Amino acid sequence: MKTQSKLYFYLTISTILLVIIAVWSLNTGVYDFGGKSAFEVLGKVIQGDSGLSLSDKYVVWDVRAARIIMAILIGSMLAVSGTGLQGLFKNPLATGDLIGLTSGATLLAAIAIVLGGHFKQYLPEAVQFSLVGISAFIGAFLSMMLVYRISTSGGKTNVVMMLLTGVAITAIGFSITGFLIYISKDDQLRDLTFWNLGSLAAATWTKNIILTVVLIISYIILIPKGKALNAMMLGEKDAQHLGINVERLKKQIIIMTALMVGSCVAFSGTIGFVGLIVPYILRLLFKSNYAFILPLSAIFGSILLLTADTFSRSIVEPSELPIGILTALMGGPIFIAILVKFKKSM
Amino acid sequence: MKKFILAASVLVAVYSCKKEEGAKKENSTEVSSETPKSTHKIVTLNGGITEIVSALGHEKEIVGTDVTSTYPESLKATAKDLGHVRSMTIEPIMAVSPTLILASDKDINPDLMGKIKSSGIKAEVFKQEFTVDGTKKLIAEVAKAIGNTDYQKLNDKIDADLKQVQPIAKKPKVLFIYARGNMLMVSGTKTPMDALIGFAGGENAVKDFEDFKPLTPEAVVKANPDVLFFFSSGLQGAGGNEGALKMPGVSQTNAGKNKKIIAMDGGLVSGFGPRLGEAAVGLNKLLIENTK
Repeated sequence: MKTQSKLYFYLTISTILLVIIAVWSLNTGVYDFGGKSAFEVLGKVIQGDSGLSLSDKYVVWDVRAARIIMAILIGSMLAVSGTGLQGLFKNPLATGDLIGLTSGATLLAAIAIVLGGHFKQYLPEAVQFSLVGISAFIGAFLSMMLVYRISTSGGKTNVVMMLLTGVAITAIGFSITGFLIYISKDDQLRDLTFWNLGSLAAATWTKNIILTVVLIISYIILIPKGKALNAMMLGEKDAQHLGINVERLKKQIIIMTALMVGSCVAFSGTIGFVGLIVPYILRLLFKSNYAFILPLSAIFGSILLLTADTFSRSIVEPSELPIGILTALMGGPIFIAILVKFKKSM
Repeated sequence: MKKFILAASVLVAVYSCKKEEGAKKENSTEVSSETPKSTHKIVTLNGGITEIVSALGHEKEIVGTDVTSTYPESLKATAKDLGHVRSMTIEPIMAVSPTLILASDKDINPDLMGKIKSSGIKAEVFKQEFTVDGTKKLIAEVAKAIGNTDYQKLNDKIDADLKQVQPIAKKPKVLFIYARGNMLMVSGTKTPMDALIGFAGGENAVKDFEDFKPLTPEAVVKANPDVLFFFSSGLQGAGGNEGALKMPGVSQTNAGKNKKIIAMDGGLVSGFGPRLGEAAVGLNKLLIENTK
């Protein structure tokens, strides 16, 4: 019970921090509300004040608020998928980007962007609209299956195999994306390049609703799995003895992670390293207790991505930096730190 | 808890739908109340369109432009540079409080287009064709969008300029090289350069593909151009004439052997606006000088 209340305490503190960052982010931007703070304007939007100018309302609600919510949703899901995978593979280097999941999602999404025009008309309308999203999900899922099949034998996952499979998938993805870049037109090329580095600029409430649905479904299944993942650290056999259905747990994590990474890539492009940075920091604070770090990574992922996004759109005004540049800049050193720490055991 | 989250997401959905309806209504009243006024605060997102608006005498109404809008130069002081249309976001556009956004269908990114549509700001997206008639049509459409009917003189000027183009007896084969950083692209058919080279009395050296493709040494040798054609900024970035002559394959071509390299201002050459005739005459002169 004591640990439980400790968890709630940390969850509350981090949620408050997230709210503070969201308020700061809402007030950051090039648009001037004529002396009013963005927070006041948002208050008026919520009250339904009819005296508010259309542009003020649009910037605060459809541009900034939508983008903040998208950063919170995507940051959260990327971090939780990273934490879940690390628990499953029992390795701090297992994240969507490093084992090739993001690359697989990116590849199929890129195919949909460049070649989609040729076969779009033969598909049902609902599928046409979300073709890039569906492709990203399939890409993430296929990569996940491939990584898992190749690196696991007799119920044991070989970490080196897993990372090397990731390297191979990333290489294949890179070469095919390279080919697509070669045959793409100038405008498609710019879309691909920008999209390869990630951006939350295209946030809309419709996308947020879809992401929220994915998040709710995944979290209902994944978040209560902390204890099971703790047991998995003892080894699959021991976990089985403790009454955990190991095969079912693996399947759930694989499907949910692919679903989350796939939908995130589809809406924001490739934003790397969030799934590596967040669990790393949490592990420093709380050790490898998944009952703690799994729910906490849901909030810390949001904190990290929202902060990075607010910087990305305010340091080179009026333009913005692709957010993937910032997260990779943070993630690189942490990746090296993990390698150094685990040098002996690898 | 689950119920609460579900209820909250449904609320958000309903609220955002309501918003859209409201935005549409307000938008329609805003537009009608503005129609009688002849001045706008315009954001132009294409170099050619920017030139048309300026040439029609509305330069002072332009409050923001994209990176390709380099002419007239005086705009730099009065209009905000919003960057490249492919990486532009909506908030900096909203920040200059435009009442009208003018863009071309070719270069605007779809996400930004969606945002502009839902922002409620009046926006016109024009189809840009790289032909003389297409340019005249664009001028007429842009003029209509900003409420100016006095555009015929611009079209007449294009015709008058084009008449000055001198025929070249033996059409020189011209290879346009688009140099951006380390990337070198050559222009195939259906590009502004292909059209302009034709108007100027030359012949595009590459005809076997559309749009721009990366430059390969073999392709350059095969195309065997008589003249290499660059944007001034691109040629400078590629190391000037010296640098261009060292590009792979170039030394094997007529252009390389005779050191025939020309460069023109990128905005003038690719704008396809009121200065189309001027650009064609300029290129025509350079081609004549370099084919003697």
